[in-house]
Amino acid sequence: MDVNKLKEQIIDALNLEDMQPDDIDNEAPLFGEGLGLDSIDALELIVLMEKFYGIKLQNPAEGKEIFKSINCMAAYIDAHRTK
Amino acid sequence: MALEHENWKGTTGGMPWMQRTLIRLLAIVDQRIIYGVLCLVVPFYMLFNHKGYISMYHFFRDGFQESWWKAFAHVYANHFRFGQIIVDRFAAFGGRTFKFEFSEGKEKYQALAREDGGFVQLSSHMGNYELAGYILKQEIKKIYALVFWGETETVMENRRKMFSAKGVEMVPVKSDMSHIFELNNALRDGQIVSMPGDRIFGSVKSLKSSFMDHSVKLPFGPFQLALLREVPMVAIFVMKERWDTYKIYFRFLEADESLGKKEQAQQLADDFAREMESIVRLYPTQWFNYFEFWED
Repeated sequence: MDVNKLKEQIIDALNLEDMQPDDIDNEAPLFGEGLGLDSIDALELIVLMEKFYGIKLQNPAEGKEIFKSINCMAAYIDAHRTK
Repeated sequence: MALEHENWKGTTGGMPWMQRTLIRLLAIVDQRIIYGVLCLVVPFYMLFNHKGYISMYHFFRDGFQESWWKAFAHVYANHFRFGQIIVDRFAAFGGRTFKFEFSEGKEKYQALAREDGGFVQLSSHMGNYELAGYILKQEIKKIYALVFWGETETVMENRRKMFSAKGVEMVPVKSDMSHIFELNNALRDGQIVSMPGDRIFGSVKSLKSSFMDHSVKLPFGPFQLALLREVPMVAIFVMKERWDTYKIYFRFLEADESLGKKEQAQQLADDFAREMESIVRLYPTQWFNYFEFWED
């Protein structure tokens, strides 16, 4: 999984206009202290996973683990992508 | 502004035992008798709910450019109307039914409800939207209604009872964002999602719009949800006409798909603000956002 490509998709989906992929720490939490994303951003990420990787997230508990960091997201995509 | 939105929870007043008593009373007593009592109670409510009273006074003064005495009279009428709305809600809990009239668009709404895909239904703190849950009974789809979990157990239990029979599931806003998954799942499965369009809660992200010649902030979430899932959006207003009659207005919101997602969200928010304004101008005393709604 190309982590940089994932970061670009996130920057684009969340409209993080002033950010570059290198500005995002692969291990930093996406919500709260790290990138500071909120519930609307979570929705964007859920739709992003579905649109680009064919992954339909349904379980909130699962989402909590997947969206812990860029690395967690990338690992989940690698294991579950259908496209 | 966001802080005002957050501070005002918009929950039903009264202790649980008072609410239970009212439900039992309304099962046997005509609600017009309770309306009569309201006339006497409202001045005291206005006196003690000073903050709500002031914001409503500003609403009539600045929104409708009314003289101070007319604005004051309308604040009284507004509080009385709000009391009636609450009484009607409890009467519905007690089994009372109401008559409904419909604006144009009922057929289009029913067609949407029959189609395969889901859609987003916008509510607002005007009139008595909750009664729409009882009348717009869904034969095929379920309605997943996003709610703020601040009501008493009495109100929530009665809502659950009434709504479950009508195919309405309540989805409380939670800090773990599980509501986002539920709403997304519902739309993906072709169901209906109902959300308030005039209240910022959950996410603080907002869109600026114009409402009654003043600047307002509307929540970004509902508009973004509809756009991301590429589903239609309809605003529903349930306005009190007579003591036993409500009129349901359907307003379909559409964005220009050639625009970017952000611009489309702005367009939908502007449309919604315009529709809210057109309805509130017809029913000025049925505006129930008891906080300073405008930004300026």
